Amino acid sequence: MSAEPDSASAQNITAFFAELSRIYSADRILTNNAQLAPYESDGLTCFRARPCGVVLPETQQEVIDTVRLCHRFEMPFIARGSGTSLSGGAVPIENGLVIAMNRMNKILDYDAEQLTAVVEPGVINLKVSQHVAGDRLYYAPDPSSGPVCTIGGNVAFNSGGAHCLKYGMTSNHVLGIKAVLPDGEIVNLGGDSLESVGQDLTGMFIGSEGLFGVALEVTLRLLPKPEKYYTLQAAYDSLEKAGNAVAMVVASGLLPGAMEIMDRLSMDAADAAIGAGYPQDAAAVLIVELEGTTDEVEAEMPLLHSVIEESGAYIVEAAKDDAHRTKIWTGRKSAFSAVGRLSPDFIVQDGVVPRTRLAEALAEIERLSGEYGIRVANVFHAGDGNLHPLVMFDGREEGALHKAEELSGEIIRLCIRLGGSITGEHGVGLEKRMYLGEMYGEDDIEFMHRLQHAVDPQKLANRGKKLPAATAPALLTRGAHPLEKQGVIFRD
Amino acid sequence: MQHDIPVDQIGPLGLPMAEAVQKCVHCGFCLPACPTYQVHGEEMDSPRGRIFLMKEVLEGNVALDEAEPYVDKCLGCVGCETACPSGVPYGELITAFRATSETKRDRSAIDKTLRRFILETLPYPGRFRMAAKLGGVGRIFRKAMPGRLGDMLDLLPAKLPAAQPLPEVFPAEGERKGRVALLAGCAQQVLAPDINFATLRVLAKNGIETVIPKQQSCCGALAAHTGAADQAKQFAKQNLKAFPTDVDAILTNAAGCGSGMHEYELWLRGEPEQAAAEEFVKRVCDVSVFLAKLGIVAPPELQTKTRLAYHDACHLAHAQKVKSQPRELLASIGNLELVEIPNGDMCCGSAGTYNIEQPETAAELGNQKARAVISTEPDVVATGNIGCMTQIETHLSNVVFGKRIPVLHTMQILDRAYRGEPLA
Amino acid sequence: MTTSSMHRPANIEELQDFVRASQNIRVCGAGTKPSLSSGAIVSTSGMSGILEYEPSEYTFTALAGTPLSEIRDALAENGQLFPFDPPLVEAGATLGGTTASGLSGPGRFRYGGIRDFILGVKMVTGEGRAVFGGGKVVKNAAGFDIPKLVTGSLGRLGVLVELTFKVFPIPETWTTIRADFRGLDTGNLAMIRLAMAQEELQCLDLEPSGRLWLRLGGLSAAVDGRVDRVRKLLQQVDAGVNVEVLSGTDDVHVWDDAREFRWVPENYQLIKLPVSSAQVVTAEQLLTEAGFESARRYSVGGNVLWLAIPESVGSDEVDRLCQQLGRPALALTGSWSDPQRGPRQGQAFAERLLTVFDPDSRFETAATA
Ligand SMILES: Cc1cc2nc3c(=O)[nH]c(=O)nc-3n(C[C@H](O)[C@H](O)[C@H](O)COP(=O)(O)OP(=O)(O)OC[C@H]3O[C@@H](n4cnc5c(N)ncnc54)[C@H](O)[C@@H]3O)c2cc1C
Ligand code: SF4
Ligand code: SF4
Repeated sequence: MSAEPDSASAQNITAFFAELSRIYSADRILTNNAQLAPYESDGLTCFRARPCGVVLPETQQEVIDTVRLCHRFEMPFIARGSGTSLSGGAVPIENGLVIAMNRMNKILDYDAEQLTAVVEPGVINLKVSQHVAGDRLYYAPDPSSGPVCTIGGNVAFNSGGAHCLKYGMTSNHVLGIKAVLPDGEIVNLGGDSLESVGQDLTGMFIGSEGLFGVALEVTLRLLPKPEKYYTLQAAYDSLEKAGNAVAMVVASGLLPGAMEIMDRLSMDAADAAIGAGYPQDAAAVLIVELEGTTDEVEAEMPLLHSVIEESGAYIVEAAKDDAHRTKIWTGRKSAFSAVGRLSPDFIVQDGVVPRTRLAEALAEIERLSGEYGIRVANVFHAGDGNLHPLVMFDGREEGALHKAEELSGEIIRLCIRLGGSITGEHGVGLEKRMYLGEMYGEDDIEFMHRLQHAVDPQKLANRGKKLPAATAPALLTRGAHPLEKQGVIFRD
Repeated sequence: MQHDIPVDQIGPLGLPMAEAVQKCVHCGFCLPACPTYQVHGEEMDSPRGRIFLMKEVLEGNVALDEAEPYVDKCLGCVGCETACPSGVPYGELITAFRATSETKRDRSAIDKTLRRFILETLPYPGRFRMAAKLGGVGRIFRKAMPGRLGDMLDLLPAKLPAAQPLPEVFPAEGERKGRVALLAGCAQQVLAPDINFATLRVLAKNGIETVIPKQQSCCGALAAHTGAADQAKQFAKQNLKAFPTDVDAILTNAAGCGSGMHEYELWLRGEPEQAAAEEFVKRVCDVSVFLAKLGIVAPPELQTKTRLAYHDACHLAHAQKVKSQPRELLASIGNLELVEIPNGDMCCGSAGTYNIEQPETAAELGNQKARAVISTEPDVVATGNIGCMTQIETHLSNVVFGKRIPVLHTMQILDRAYRGEPLA
Repeated sequence: MTTSSMHRPANIEELQDFVRASQNIRVCGAGTKPSLSSGAIVSTSGMSGILEYEPSEYTFTALAGTPLSEIRDALAENGQLFPFDPPLVEAGATLGGTTASGLSGPGRFRYGGIRDFILGVKMVTGEGRAVFGGGKVVKNAAGFDIPKLVTGSLGRLGVLVELTFKVFPIPETWTTIRADFRGLDTGNLAMIRLAMAQEELQCLDLEPSGRLWLRLGGLSAAVDGRVDRVRKLLQQVDAGVNVEVLSGTDDVHVWDDAREFRWVPENYQLIKLPVSSAQVVTAEQLLTEAGFESARRYSVGGNVLWLAIPESVGSDEVDRLCQQLGRPALALTGSWSDPQRGPRQGQAFAERLLTVFDPDSRFETAATA
């Protein structure tokens, strides 16, 4: 294990915990091994780090006091939602403090007429939509992890989902944020109006992966729920054809709510998980969903059908009813986890490519997969060009993780080469930091470091994430990280 | 998930545990399904956290006694299994883990007494009856009892129904269409003997003859789920012998027993009886599954319109994946309106001995369930498990005063319907 | 507005040199929002032109000085539009100026404002550094969201040079519905109802008289049905409401006029006030009490109040109104010591970021932040 953070000596830690126990009752400060171990990693289990403690705040004031205490003691900290990050973003800082936000899960205010809800950051994404469903409203961003992940985590990562083509990501649905900066200062960003004046600080906070502090309260924008959905599943004999179909739909002038593609492997996995019933011999299935008023959707349907038929789909099937639609989406949304049935470990990539280069990217991934001899399942937000290649490996095999990471790296570079991004919605976290410099210039990266420094000179908040820092990466289950061995990343 | 579990050193249960851990991808989809996570909101009390903890204990990174409180808090409701897209057999993992760790753990004196008391009483109808009677008396001394024993007494009825011996064979009415064997259940026999009789009558009504093997023992679930592996094995072996093979099915009418019997193969891993257990398990099913498949004689319409809320017992819905069959059976009753309980997948907090071992969590879950039930404004509640019945009844009376909502077994409902009796 | 005093760099290098050599820099685009750029020293109008436009990607990249009208026309040729419906297009507004002012028009009601569609930015900071933030694809979570941050930054953080935006297809047909309610209360009530309804309106504006403006966009085959439904909803609020349906050029003119603020009387100063529909009635009362003349329009379902006041009305009056409503305001025209009025939020965060964007306070307006 690495040394304690330089700033926090053993003596300091004792004093720190003494102070901490003035904020929390004993049962809300977790320190023994059995309590800490389950907080060691997030949805990307190849990274792990043991915190020195976990606290379970129940009020905003407790969070504020905790952050101020951390600042005083120079104790690095991380806020944690449901730990579903797929990029290592929620991995603790070695010997730092974890602020687990899960008990801060109240919906503080809901105004149907103003189409807003004010929630605590520990509120589960899907709970918001459930809460407002009675007024036929919903909260649009729908990450597949919606039943699990928290609004705080969504804010940190600017999370998206299948239905982001039309209405955008978390950032487009958050009007205001109350946050505590890493030095303990409290700020109110944005407000409750769709419009604002002055620089968009709310937008800047969102997607900052916890580097700018802890969100305490989030004002969400709600939308009227579309009256009608029309969900179409089209089967193709090649992934490429499905990719091209997406471009054709876009060219037709239609603006579907969602366009998703699953390849054979991910269909098999989702089928095993929930019996989704995908066409047995299809190489790829495209899910397109129209949404809107009944009149509009019904007028769009024939157009969509003609485009899909022209695209070479050999089975076209529309959801029969709500239950069928739910099944299609449940299948799609369980795909990541369901891949656990095919492989004990996997890395989910999240690169974005220009939509017109989708087919090219998919073909190249297939080639790379063959070259490396590693299975890669593909399930992705095709409408946004946001790929999710799932690189499968067995962590128990010597060198398997290393090889999987190499392949992942090639895929990330491919996305950069094609003019895209290294991450569409899962964030940089720990996993993609070393690629940020390939997407942005050195100057830009340095600028980002300076922004972090300006807000958090001691790098207390989620130290070591998002930016390609030269210090403090998390520990790997099995000794040094391969990139560490190569000298690409370092530990201090 | 990657692991270093020394499979070979653990024995026959090492492999199933390692496989379960390996399948978990740490995605957290099970979190919202877990009752203890709902109550405590901390990772150690979630399925994902427990899987990780068990892995750490098996790998030797975390001491068993540190992990125990969290493993113990698990209800074994396997709601997490239903929620898990990756197909992690959580139920197998926790049962195996409890079996392998029990011998190593160091329980406090009071814990030991309590646990011995439970394990030596509940599985034996005679002893349980005795204890329950004492319980009624014990109420007077409630204050003097150590906390959890006292809590346990609260759950026992003040007055027990009269003991009714079960016949060895219960003949079919009219033409015999099939023959089954029934597990009588231990606590159920004592607390609500009517459930078995109702079951027998409903089966008979549908042309089924039932045998109730005299030599049968407790199903062993209670022992297995509290880590008393040897006792569980003994029970399983005895039942393998006691139940005939020339029946169409071996039926259970208590969800907990049914799911326990489905685990016989796991319990007897590495034992000479393993193969026999595998065969046995194939024939075990819940009475509702058997009847739904058979297709039942439609009961006469109810005299008064009745709203019935069906509660999914975890050991039916999650452990045995039985959700539609009881509903189908109930829906065949005319003038009965079947309503769904919101958040119905969530455990009521009963779960075997949970009430006794984790009273606070159990009470919180019980109250949550009671509130959910009441929100549907039912005339009557039906479920397929005696544990849930007791739990829901207790908490319903905690939450509402005045109007009593009866809680009945699905078979009792059918039986009453056949006999033209009102349900509520 | 004269442009003689302006420096108009022709490319980013010239701009960088200029910034490094100057103090008290004020930035403007074409000068359509004079209050935001008075005394401007540097104009981006010399850096103009669309750099990349790939219709099937739904994205374009253009230099900051590009007039919106030029981009609008290029988009329209390919059946696309600015989903945030920027104002003052005809007046000559540039892409950079609109971004820096954070302005969106009535059509932003449907999908979102300018902040929701900006994807990437290249800018020159106070140190004369060229910084790139965001990306060129429709989705990107890498790096900090600098593109969003600079939206509405009023040139305080630096000079925007190059911007990438997401665009959407133009609906096949447009229809406008005008509903005259008895008064503001009823009109506002109808606006709230319609905002909550599932009608997917493109625009939803209210005039203080109680006149409600709605716009539908979509396939022509569905228009009649949709109009009927909207009409019914309006009648549910007030059975006697007078409803008129406008299409073709009539429809276009309504929104052109709104977008270009043609309703603003000559010599009035224009102010943007973000509000909520719950505040509409209060705002009207406060304005009546304040006693000065004004013209108003509540746009975006009551989320913004466009307030036009005579030049004689001082900043005190505006500040008071801001205070009473608890909202900030932005003066688009007129002469103001600082065009941003009223309470400011998140200052601690803004100040920290500013030390990186403009450590030496070269940008004039930055000093007032
Ligand atoms: C099966 C599966 C499917 C997924 N599908 C999607 C998808 O479709 N789209 C998508 O975008 N993502 C998806 N994800 C990724 C993940 O769910 C999202 O990133 C989610 O937003 C994380 O939320 P969380 O509550 O789990 O946060 P965590 O993982 O706990 O934390 C994530 C980050 O947020 C920070 N954080 C948490 N709370 C706060 C707070 N209050 N203030 C400041 N920072 C905070 C943490 O420090 C950390 O950096 C998926 C994950 C899984 C496992
Ligand atoms: S849902 Fe399944 S795979 Fe995911 S964390 Fe839970 S047990 Fe593991
Ligand atoms: S069995 Fe029930 S209590 Fe135990 S972890 Fe699973 S869901 Fe939670």
